[in-house]
Amino acid sequence: MSNLSDIGNLMYLYLDEIDPGNGTDAPKFLITAAAKALNQYGDRNWVPVIVKEIGEDRYQVIGNTFIYAVAEEAGLEKIWCIIADEREETEKLTQVLSGEVTPKINLSQATRDEIKDALQYLIEKPGSLLKGVNLLTATNRIDAAPRQYWKTLDPITKLKCGITKGKLKALEEVFDLIPQPMPDVIKDPAILKSLTTTELKALAKQRQLTGYSKKKKQELVELLST
Amino acid sequence: MSDQDLKQALLHLPENASEAIVNSVFISKLLLALGFQQADQIPEFPTGQGSQAVDYAARKRIEDDTFIQTQTNPYLLIEVKGRDINLCEGSPQYGRTVKQLKNYCLAPNCKTVNWGIITNSQHIQLFRKHGKVVYPATLCLKLTPDNVTEILLKIRQKIEAPTKALTVAIYNNKGGVGKTTTTANLAAVLTLYGKKVLVIDFDPNQQDLTHSLGVEVGEQGFYACMENKRANIDDQVIQHHRVSLKNKRFVIDIIPSDQTFADKSENELRQELKIFRLRQILEPLKSRYDYILIDSSPNWRFVSTSAIYAADVVLIPTKHNNIFSLKNAAIAIQKYIPEVQEYRKDGGPIALPIFFNGEKITESQRTTVQNAIDRIIEQVRREFNLIPYFYPRYTKAQKNRYVFDLPSYAHISNAAFDQIPAAYKSKTARDYYLALAKEYFLQ
Repeated sequence: MSNLSDIGNLMYLYLDEIDPGNGTDAPKFLITAAAKALNQYGDRNWVPVIVKEIGEDRYQVIGNTFIYAVAEEAGLEKIWCIIADEREETEKLTQVLSGEVTPKINLSQATRDEIKDALQYLIEKPGSLLKGVNLLTATNRIDAAPRQYWKTLDPITKLKCGITKGKLKALEEVFDLIPQPMPDVIKDPAILKSLTTTELKALAKQRQLTGYSKKKKQELVELLST
Repeated sequence: MSDQDLKQALLHLPENASEAIVNSVFISKLLLALGFQQADQIPEFPTGQGSQAVDYAARKRIEDDTFIQTQTNPYLLIEVKGRDINLCEGSPQYGRTVKQLKNYCLAPNCKTVNWGIITNSQHIQLFRKHGKVVYPATLCLKLTPDNVTEILLKIRQKIEAPTKALTVAIYNNKGGVGKTTTTANLAAVLTLYGKKVLVIDFDPNQQDLTHSLGVEVGEQGFYACMENKRANIDDQVIQHHRVSLKNKRFVIDIIPSDQTFADKSENELRQELKIFRLRQILEPLKSRYDYILIDSSPNWRFVSTSAIYAADVVLIPTKHNNIFSLKNAAIAIQKYIPEVQEYRKDGGPIALPIFFNGEKITESQRTTVQNAIDRIIEQVRREFNLIPYFYPRYTKAQKNRYVFDLPSYAHISNAAFDQIPAAYKSKTARDYYLALAKEYFLQ
């Protein structure tokens, strides 16, 4: 980093030079009460706002928006900020670290414990869509499913673990998918079972098997897995 | 001679040798002494958990597959410290190092690891990894130029002949916490995962496990084996619980309870049998099973002491609404198990974290039980750190009071009437016990 750059520095900036970015949806009470405390204890925000430089004397908040809102409410003219770089990843990371955005885990590769923790977080949230979902059952079924190939979260609705189509939205909050391509020859019965009969028949045709056209799903799975 | 090399290496190491110096002077010799050639070793092996790397990983060549080429399937991990880090058992640095090694052992690239070593060239300790369980295989031994050859020879013998089975005692000094139900269902779920499982009914006053699996109580067979040094446990003693599910057959092998244990008084048992006898006679069976589960009786007398003595790890079920089951768990962890450790002198057995067994927990009950556990921990804080056994995920920054809990389910307790574990018959019960098995044992 050149020493002309301010990246990484703690700076005392004018509030009106800073664009608040997305703003915060924190309850009014928290903001006013925190503003009172800020006034009472010396008007210095020891926890800095994270900003990026967007022009000459122009900054934009990328993290700790709450503190910006409190300083505004408290009537401060200047505020302590840390200057971050302008990369998009930095903004994402800062929002995750400052607790403003829920981080997502990659369900294609997540460990069982990660899945369990994520589901528990969702189930225990106030007003959760997933209320009543059995944590252990859902964890087992999702963990055991061929999720490394999933392109969407939809297959979860077929696992019979109490998560229906309407509840999938809640899962999107914590799960991402970065799927692997399907292998050329699928022999794993668990993956085969997650496909439709039509897809299975297409696979059988591809592998130049014969006598599959009248088979039922279970028989097709057996045929393809041997 | 590599013996001399090792001795020399230790003699050469300065008092305050840093980790890098211990690495270059001592570890390469140590790995050679354990039978790993240059091409079998990788320093700074990435574990696959974030960007962390373990100091050394090693595996012997398997046909054409040399470890240094393929860099897959490590067998042994070594976490090295400098001499400035005190690895004396019980020191805070020792605790941190063991935790570090355990983390590495459970990381994604290290699933095939069987053994872990921590050393700073002054102390060395060997750990066994079995599925998700990492437990000590030796005490933390003091290394000197005079004993280093002998100690490494012993470690090498262990590493080259790992026992297949993990022996688990299911124990709580308090009765009625579901030890037998846990044993039977855990065994069932493990067989569903293709594991070979032996269960031992070592609760002679109740014999519930034997009955719940529909097996006859033995007379003399098991006791005779225990009494007669030369006798082996043979196929007459071991019974089988067979189940067919979806055209597949599953078997739990069982050593049924022996009436003789119940008929003899505590004094008679102590006169006729040694406390380590059960461990001895299980030894030859350890190559035949993946898991040996011992259902032990709720007291601290001859039979239950034998069970703990024979175990690698102790699984302690508790009930969240029964304060005595929690207090007794604490006593077992802090008093009984260390007593056995002291006697056995190989670092084992160790307690696994407790779990809540088979009751519904409401929010307010959870607060109550957490307060109760906090008090139990606080009472003995100065003498013994109970936190890892009650709150395994608790750290200084994360006040995480997570305890695994196995939800209640009517089928589980009713299944005893059918003489078949609920985990075989009910999908929900299977899910619950699978979660238990994954929490503690299966990786």
